[in-house]
Amino acid sequence: MLAELGPVLIAGIKFGAIYALAALGLVVVHKATKTVNFAHGAFAMLGAFASFLIVVRWQWPYWAAYLLIPPAIGLVAAAIEFLILRRLRRADMFTVVIATVFLGIALAEGFRLTYNTELLAVPSPFAGAPFVVGGVYITRDTLWVITGALLAAVGCVILFRRGKLGRGMRAMASNIRGAQLCGYSIDHIYMLAWFLGGVLAGLAGVFIAPVTGVSVDLSIAVITAGFVAGVIGGFDSPRGAILGGLLLGIAESLSAAYVSSAMKNCISFLLLFVVLMWRPQGLFPERTARSV
Amino acid sequence: MSDRRLDLAATGPALFIILCIAAGLGVDSYSQYVIALAIVAILVGAALVVLVGLARCITLASGSIMALGAYASTLAVLDLGAPYLVSLLLALFAGAAAGWLIALPGTRFRGHNLAMVTLVFQSVCIILIRQSTWLTGGAEGIRVPSATVFGWTIVSDLGFLVLIGVLAAAMTLILTILLRGPFGKCLQAAANNEIAAEAFGVNVRGYLTAAFIVSSIAIAFAGALAAPRIRILDPDSFGILESIFLLAYPIVGGMQSVWGGLLGGGGLRILPELLRPVADYQELFYATLVIVIVMFFPGGLTELLRRGAALIGRSGRGRLSKAIAPGTPWSGTIPAVALPIPAPTPERAEKLLLVEAVDKHFDALHAVDAASLAVPVGAIHGLIGPNGAGKTSLFNIISGFLAADGGRIEFAGEPLLDLRARDRIRLGITRTFQNVAVFGQLSCLDNVIIGRGCNGVVEAMGASFDRFIAGAPTLQARREALAALDSAGLADQAQSLAGALSLGDQRRLELARAIVSSPKLILLDEPVSGVSEAEAEELRQLLLRINAERTIAMLVVEHNIPFVARLCRTLSVMGAGRVVAEGKPAEVIALPTVRQLYFGEEGPA
Repeated sequence: MLAELGPVLIAGIKFGAIYALAALGLVVVHKATKTVNFAHGAFAMLGAFASFLIVVRWQWPYWAAYLLIPPAIGLVAAAIEFLILRRLRRADMFTVVIATVFLGIALAEGFRLTYNTELLAVPSPFAGAPFVVGGVYITRDTLWVITGALLAAVGCVILFRRGKLGRGMRAMASNIRGAQLCGYSIDHIYMLAWFLGGVLAGLAGVFIAPVTGVSVDLSIAVITAGFVAGVIGGFDSPRGAILGGLLLGIAESLSAAYVSSAMKNCISFLLLFVVLMWRPQGLFPERTARSV
Repeated sequence: MSDRRLDLAATGPALFIILCIAAGLGVDSYSQYVIALAIVAILVGAALVVLVGLARCITLASGSIMALGAYASTLAVLDLGAPYLVSLLLALFAGAAAGWLIALPGTRFRGHNLAMVTLVFQSVCIILIRQSTWLTGGAEGIRVPSATVFGWTIVSDLGFLVLIGVLAAAMTLILTILLRGPFGKCLQAAANNEIAAEAFGVNVRGYLTAAFIVSSIAIAFAGALAAPRIRILDPDSFGILESIFLLAYPIVGGMQSVWGGLLGGGGLRILPELLRPVADYQELFYATLVIVIVMFFPGGLTELLRRGAALIGRSGRGRLSKAIAPGTPWSGTIPAVALPIPAPTPERAEKLLLVEAVDKHFDALHAVDAASLAVPVGAIHGLIGPNGAGKTSLFNIISGFLAADGGRIEFAGEPLLDLRARDRIRLGITRTFQNVAVFGQLSCLDNVIIGRGCNGVVEAMGASFDRFIAGAPTLQARREALAALDSAGLADQAQSLAGALSLGDQRRLELARAIVSSPKLILLDEPVSGVSEAEAEELRQLLLRINAERTIAMLVVEHNIPFVARLCRTLSVMGAGRVVAEGKPAEVIALPTVRQLYFGEEGPA
């Protein structure tokens, strides 16, 4: 039983860890700026593409990808916040959602035009014999993705909860005017949130590149998975984003193994639907003080 | 000028499509093909103006709905042997069903969640089409047979152009009529301000559902029209990217009228033909165009054209307002004469509103504790009390926006608590809002017309067609609305956008909207909060005049005690959820219990 279920669960957790990173970036931006960034998937795609450039094209060592890409994508995100979103700050949610949807398309198309291929393959960072745990094979690569992505996600949650930056973002989220009066600059916080979101998207891209390869479709795949994971966990809860990502990864993996791989997406959408309809605050919402 | 006349302006977009057909007569067959596809895009653009522009719902499902229409029509021809025109009816049904299905969860969400719900529908639809190989031919697709109309098989591009053009023009005309009529106005009101819309009888979820259904019907119809010319139907041509680009139509063209969908759809569909040498950059160009428009020209191309036309100096406005100008122009200020106030005789006065022992708990907080009050016919009754006394809760229970836990409310002898907020206007109760809640994107006149409360979805659809054919019922509505605007001192602002008015004028507009249905009772929620003393005095005079002229009773919740004392003839004072005092303003305010409530003192200082 375990021998059969084990690999399915491991694969699920591996994707789940990456989804968690993607969802976390969405949630961080949403928490601070009340905006859902539909271009987030395109940021991750850019990250994956950058790791192709570094690892395959330029033959740099793999650690350079992990070190350079996240901050680079973060800068791209911050620049986009500065150039586009800042001008839309007084527009309603409707306008902002539309802007980020088409922003994602523009970025994905930009990539398609510079590198007009179907799929770019990126090698794994680790070769070598897999570990065997209780009869289940776990490749070094899988182990690295799971531990690396989850550690990064947990680190980010701690930063958000403890750090000065996180406090500013949470203050901004709960009361913009109040936070401004307390000396937080809305421009700084928003840009930082986008930077952090970009870093997380870039990191998710580097992790996912060897798993799925780099293609235009990656953009929509990451944004849907991230969004669904975020909704499952509760869109305002960073902790929920991680749990939601893992849950989604495992559910997809199980349905691909036991239902059919074509229905994999249907299952995740079903999850989204059920959570939105019956528990719109998510399965793992942030505990909030009851206000009377 | 006769009262009954066809609304010619509504036929504009349809006539434009007919002109496109005429233009197609003299060109080569490839151009005819392009024009035919542009006409399909125009129809999709018009349909999306209803949903995206007016209802402000983001949809990423348009591609799948086009697919559903195309597949429904094609399969009806292939598998059921239905004639092409009958198969189009099936496409309409498929569209209606899809719209209803999306609306079921979709009307509960706005913004990103709605975008995601529609994306889910889109993806699941395409996956199902791809998986049902036995029915749809799967990913390889199916061959669409040529369309046969009345025994005439259409194979030439000119034939397609005429067929598609005529049918699309008919559907576009229907959309334009709905959009320009009461249906479109109510839809805009629902998107502008849900609570205010509900207060005036607009069923917000009903309207959003109708918007989804109407636009989906038109989109599915467009898909079915295009199908025979596409020749091979496959699920991948209706993917998520297609949906996103369809969403660009109304945004690029402009979201307030069918012309926007027409410009956006037609323009974006023809553009790639012009940009053939750089075809690869088409999507990037589209996406950039949308971002630029959202950032710098939120009104889209129609707004740009309008501004251009205004620069040239050809302004089309004024004609309409002249035709419906009221008898006497508004003088500008409220007459300062003291108005005779009919002295009410409380003993004999019939009770209009009767609140008895109403209770409301919020968890441990007993917000309203067995509160009772009564408002006689034609009276002005005030409800005051310190913060947290339960005034607003009681007010919201009376207006229907909060459910009571216990007690009874009677209005003109009928029980009120079981009625939904939007049904209470029919009994003769209207309200204003503490934070002004006008429909900012509509003209003052349209705001007040919605205030008449005849806003059922089906009713408004019917009225839209009546308005197109005869114009008569709306003329009556206009007269009443202009009279109400005149009473509120806004007759000269009838055509201005409500969102552009000053705060004081918006409060007057709310009053005009509240009185136009000749209600028996107006609930006024802090009518002078945030208003200067001079304006408050003007408003007081206005309220007294409305009360005297139209014998409308008023229940006023207000913090400004001097204002309430001079406006109301009787007061109820609330403290900690209970009504602690009742009577004439001067007497009530002098009561020690009331003073203690406000100042915490034992006796007069």
